[in-house]
Amino acid sequence: MKVLVTGAGGFLGVHVVERLLAHGYTDIRCFLRDSGKTERLLTLPESHSGPKLELCYGNLRSKSDCALAVADVSLVIHLAAGLKGAPAELFADSVVASRNLLDALEERDGIPIQETRVVLVSSFGVYGAAALPRGTLIDEGTPLEEHPELRDTYSHSKLRQEQLFRDYQQKAGFQLVVLRPGVIYGPGGGAFSSRVGLQIGPVFFHLGGSNLLPLAYVVNCAEAIVLAAGHPAAAGQVYNVHDDDLPTASRYLREYKRHVKQMRSIRLPYFATRMLARFLEAYYRRSQGQLPAIITRYKAAAAWGGNRFDNAKLHTLGWSQLVATPDAMAKTFEHLRRQDARRQ
Amino acid sequence: MSLKIAIVGCGKIADAHVEEIRKIPSVHLCAVCDLEPIMAEQLAVRYSVPQWYSDVAKMLEAERPDVLHITTPPQSHLPLTEQALAAGCHVFIEKPIALRYSDAQAIIAAAIAAGKKLAVNYWPRFEAPALELRRLHESGVLGNPVHVESSIGYDLQGEFGMALRRDPQHWVRRLPGKLFQNVLDHVLNKITPFLEDENPFIQAIAWQAEAAAGEGGSDELLDELRVMIRGAQVSAYATFSAHARPVGQILRVYGTKNTAHVDYIARTVVLERKQTFPSALGRLFPPFLAAKDHLRQGLKNVNSFSHARFHFFDGMRRLLEDFYLSIEKDSPPPIDYGEILRVSAMMERIFEQVYPEVRA
Repeated sequence: MKVLVTGAGGFLGVHVVERLLAHGYTDIRCFLRDSGKTERLLTLPESHSGPKLELCYGNLRSKSDCALAVADVSLVIHLAAGLKGAPAELFADSVVASRNLLDALEERDGIPIQETRVVLVSSFGVYGAAALPRGTLIDEGTPLEEHPELRDTYSHSKLRQEQLFRDYQQKAGFQLVVLRPGVIYGPGGGAFSSRVGLQIGPVFFHLGGSNLLPLAYVVNCAEAIVLAAGHPAAAGQVYNVHDDDLPTASRYLREYKRHVKQMRSIRLPYFATRMLARFLEAYYRRSQGQLPAIITRYKAAAAWGGNRFDNAKLHTLGWSQLVATPDAMAKTFEHLRRQDARRQ
Repeated sequence: MSLKIAIVGCGKIADAHVEEIRKIPSVHLCAVCDLEPIMAEQLAVRYSVPQWYSDVAKMLEAERPDVLHITTPPQSHLPLTEQALAAGCHVFIEKPIALRYSDAQAIIAAAIAAGKKLAVNYWPRFEAPALELRRLHESGVLGNPVHVESSIGYDLQGEFGMALRRDPQHWVRRLPGKLFQNVLDHVLNKITPFLEDENPFIQAIAWQAEAAAGEGGSDELLDELRVMIRGAQVSAYATFSAHARPVGQILRVYGTKNTAHVDYIARTVVLERKQTFPSALGRLFPPFLAAKDHLRQGLKNVNSFSHARFHFFDGMRRLLEDFYLSIEKDSPPPIDYGEILRVSAMMERIFEQVYPEVRA
């Protein structure tokens, strides 16, 4: 079985390819945009015997590149997405690119699309968390966001991407598996999710407080994706992906300060965040956007309202944490500490 | 009467157009359009635009807008302008106006023939410091201009720069002047008010200071440009740099009386005055006079900020207000067509020198 991994050169992609190799997949096409991101991929087969890694460079915004990417594959793991940048770029990289990929799957010769499994890596951002009371358990049955335009553009684009995949699935009949990771972290990733807080100028505003942080260590997340990709019961299903032993945002920040570096932070309780958001919204409206409304009450409720999380459904696939949370945090912080030392 | 505005092209710059249009009470945005329906939809959803289309002909037919903003890549500006004019629209075009000078001529000629107004988005020209410079020039404070230096910085690590570096098929790469063509309007259109020659001497050199290795291959993408221009009365230097920091936008106008230094990022205009005190005393005062100018400008900016007139694209809002007013009053558009053509002609001659295939 030939497997296509889009975004294979990215932070998560390399680990997904590694887990595919570990699970015995031997024919993997790694699709990546930047030729500078191949170094880690090329070292992977050394630790596994007999696999075939095919590196395929291109841009999913290009229909012809998509056609090359999907030729002869019967399993697609779609990781590529816009993570930051202008809204138009995010939609082009996440939604237009996905549409091109799905069109290419529909239009190709050879393997019928009905015999193809497509694994979409989505996001927790698609849930309508702003409308939920504090402490609500978020699981796969939680309603999706009804007002994506009020959220950050990343969440908006991921929700639109999911809708697109569902539309195509109903039309074309392929097997769709959707995974919604929480905060993916690990060596090579960022230091802070906005769920912990926001760096504004020289000060870090700690907004997450005692909220649980839905962390998914990158190796554990990759393992979940590969398990779901190969599990017969996963067809048509959605899985939340996060680790079992979740720290609070304040514990994460405390450990960061202890193991990486000291930094100035100001903790804002949730009610103060809401008041700040109310002020910023009013100023945004009055000044017609002279300063961006980086915090709104709606975004605040979604990011810092405080929820509980459930990954029981993921466990039904036989998933378990490969790396325990204390070890995962230690590895992440060690990497961040070295990175910080190199910068200095 | 409220003008109906529509936009074709829903890429990054369309956000700025939508935001500035929404600040003008006398107009309303009725629809947006993009060949790629997902892009049209996302813009409409994010800004609550009533309608979106993926076919510009259908949009023009259904919405009958008074003004069409063309924010597509410049390859399509000429046919879209012709289509809009045929539908009875005035046209506001994102820079660069066209791929080639001949297309720019055709666009302007078509607008004149149709009896419709046209403007190109030379928004920095309508920023507060640019207006102050114009006042200094027109009131004779500078004397006669002798030389102009216009420079612009560019961050290849920024949002647009990264998108360009990563995508070998990016539309900017297909422009005859590549990266320079997407930016040089804002360098040259600050020179043309002072240098009015139709056919000045132009000498340009360009090079690549840093190869974007591993970013999708940008070997052909030059990222440093220097241009010397000489007219009958005034000379100019034009500079584009992707590596000088901070990323700035500076204009210096040397006059026979005084020299003006305009910083478009900090939004300051500082006058360097002729010395009036003798000897060492003459060297003592200039820093204090400059400090006074900076303080005055800083306070002016605080005042603008406090009155919510300090947006990034404030110049675009002002330009649009002037453009829409010229439509309502049937008065001359805010940017002279001859100047638009002179900028386009200069750009073409520069690209012929730095990308020889353009000449071919």
